[in-house]
Amino acid sequence: MKRFIKGLTGAVATAALATTGAVQAQEDDTITFGLLQDFTAVYTFLTNEYNQGQQDYLTLINQEGGIDGHTFEAIVRDHGNEPQRGLEAYNRAREEGAVLMDFLSTPVSRAVVPRVLEDEVVLITPLHGRGDASDGETFPYVFPMMATYWSQAAVLANYIEEHEGGLEGKRIAHVYIDSPFGREPVPILEELAERKGFELETFAYPSPGNEQSSTWSEVRRFRPDFVTIWGAGGGQPVSVQTAIRNGISPDQILSVVWMAETDARQIGEQAAEGLKRFEAVATGTDHPIIQRIQDKVIDEGLGAGDAENVGTTYYNIGVATMAVSVEAARLALEEYGAPLTGEKLRDGFHMIEDYDAEGMMPPLTFSEEDHQGGGYGRVSEWNGEEWEPVTDWFAAYQDIVWEEIEESAAGFREGN
Amino acid sequence: MFYRLSGVHHTRYQSARQLWPIPADRRIVWGLLALALLGPLILSDLYLSSYALPWLVWTAAALSLTLLMGVAGQLHFGFAAVMAIGAYTSIHIVRAGWPFEIALIGAGLTTAVIGCVFGAAALRVKGLYLVMATLAMQYLVDWVIINVPAISGGAQATLQTPDVRFLFVPLESDISLYYGALLWTVIVTVFVLNIKRTSFGRALVAVRDKDYAASIIGVNSFKYKLLAFFTSSFLGGVSGAILAFCYYQAVTPEQFGFNVSIQLVAMVLVGGLGSVVGAYLGAGFVLLAPIFLTNFVAFLSNQGLLDVSTNLLSHIPLMAYGALIIGFLLFEPLGLAKIYDNIRNYFLVWPFRHSRS
Repeated sequence: MKRFIKGLTGAVATAALATTGAVQAQEDDTITFGLLQDFTAVYTFLTNEYNQGQQDYLTLINQEGGIDGHTFEAIVRDHGNEPQRGLEAYNRAREEGAVLMDFLSTPVSRAVVPRVLEDEVVLITPLHGRGDASDGETFPYVFPMMATYWSQAAVLANYIEEHEGGLEGKRIAHVYIDSPFGREPVPILEELAERKGFELETFAYPSPGNEQSSTWSEVRRFRPDFVTIWGAGGGQPVSVQTAIRNGISPDQILSVVWMAETDARQIGEQAAEGLKRFEAVATGTDHPIIQRIQDKVIDEGLGAGDAENVGTTYYNIGVATMAVSVEAARLALEEYGAPLTGEKLRDGFHMIEDYDAEGMMPPLTFSEEDHQGGGYGRVSEWNGEEWEPVTDWFAAYQDIVWEEIEESAAGFREGN
Repeated sequence: MFYRLSGVHHTRYQSARQLWPIPADRRIVWGLLALALLGPLILSDLYLSSYALPWLVWTAAALSLTLLMGVAGQLHFGFAAVMAIGAYTSIHIVRAGWPFEIALIGAGLTTAVIGCVFGAAALRVKGLYLVMATLAMQYLVDWVIINVPAISGGAQATLQTPDVRFLFVPLESDISLYYGALLWTVIVTVFVLNIKRTSFGRALVAVRDKDYAASIIGVNSFKYKLLAFFTSSFLGGVSGAILAFCYYQAVTPEQFGFNVSIQLVAMVLVGGLGSVVGAYLGAGFVLLAPIFLTNFVAFLSNQGLLDVSTNLLSHIPLMAYGALIIGFLLFEPLGLAKIYDNIRNYFLVWPFRHSRS
């Protein structure tokens, strides 16, 4: 028993030393962000590239001298998509002075939302988390920052309306992974079906989506004109492959934001030609920020990961999230001065107007009411080699989206 | 020497049959209880709310499962679903305006009844087949929760727990939440410890060891299997409610997924089947070891001692964790509880070498 207790105290003491060490290492003019993400469980299909993009962008800002001498530091931890580990990482990062958190995991973000509201720490939930957090009045510290799944569905529907010969009379199948995430856009699509007069049918496939044949043979019987697919990771290429096998051509398929180069290659570069996806952030290395990262971070050997990932879909999304966050920090420091707190950072976000990360993103504007930034996006198409944008940045049917946001946010205020 | 056994003579059945007949054990238990009660004073907020609190709640859950798996020998691979039923029931009862105390009992009873329905499979099947039946429960419950918005709470599928009072104390601050969880864990601990020395507990053990042999000696295995499921599901349901109200303060389907069921089974197995100490050690190990390892590896990397990619860095703790589980089970197949027991036996007779058990 004694031996055991001795061992235990030893372990606790080491851990305690580890924490105090980390706290002391931090200097006053450093701004700390908590990038506490899922590197090992469900979100692994993007976490690596996404997080690499985030870290590289912060390194770039530090290389360029920071903001008024303030440099950025990222706490990067794995939470394995488990809420209790996420909460631990969150509490620890908060003690270490982090003013902004990104969990890149819907379950963990959901678990943390009530706490960040209480602790006044900024939580960004780009392309994950609660869509209704776009309502800044109900969720003052939560920033979805990019188009919610509701807005994505609206953008895709509007694309069919504008570019593919209208929605009226069309048959649209929504094929989704059987989870709250897959079901999320359904109310928007239903409302649009009613307004625009198209026929909507929804088809669920079981999680994790490695096997979808039975679902797609039903989809084939429905004979859809267009299919929206709502999944993530490994299920996505399976969706497209099974669709092709069932006689649905890739150019009839429109995907949620989770569709990257690797997915297209897995389907087959030629086979996937014509496949369309929602795009929140431009892909490729042909952007000033990515070029600077290449020059000042990657070429200097300071990159956080494999140099090949630079410019991929998820890498650029990661860069964009940090670009917006750093912009918010810059505005906040300009207005209120150091030290940066969660509250100041939140106001910094509210001050962002038409920020497009030097052309990488749609122009984002946040306000106290709107934490989504307008719900902009565009549609891009796989041309056999890369994702090529086929529209300009636009937002669609935001009235319907906001009805949904407000209804859901009202539910949150009542405890949902 | 350490346990000072000399001079400990039990002259009455009452004293020989108490929970801890050796005074030194009693002192350890009281000491640990005192430490637990002083928790909020000696632990920082971080360790109180992110380590001690979840450890306590998961221990209560592991104890409920060890009663079923270890004492009664009925395998259950869907225990997270049991906790989910408790969590959702309690939250809906509270939202309907009833007091929290009633909600806890209601959660326990609802869970016990539903748990019994699935446990009824145990009357026909055993071992791996029962594992399949309980797995079915896990998936069925998950499916129902996700697909019935009235249960899961609309599009976002999140229900926040309302502010509640437990025995006139508002469960709001970290400290009150901690004591709430501690109270429940102590109750479950004492309950399971006592069950093992009642006729009920002995009947469960008889059923576990051979159910038809139990029937031959007059133990109604039909009744006791169902009772085992009833009791364990009751405790599991209340633990689920405590987990929701005292720790997560919100309920979402992912909190009670299949992986959580596996974690619970791992807690019971790594800790030691049927052991109360084992439930504490197992829950602590399965819940906290990944966190400690992640922080330790991150610390090494911050100190520049470990220069690898972020991706590998996050997987090293997993490898170490896996190796630790295998290591512990190779070292002592009966779990952490047996390791503790070995150490205790060694010190019972120290400085002599041989102990009786």
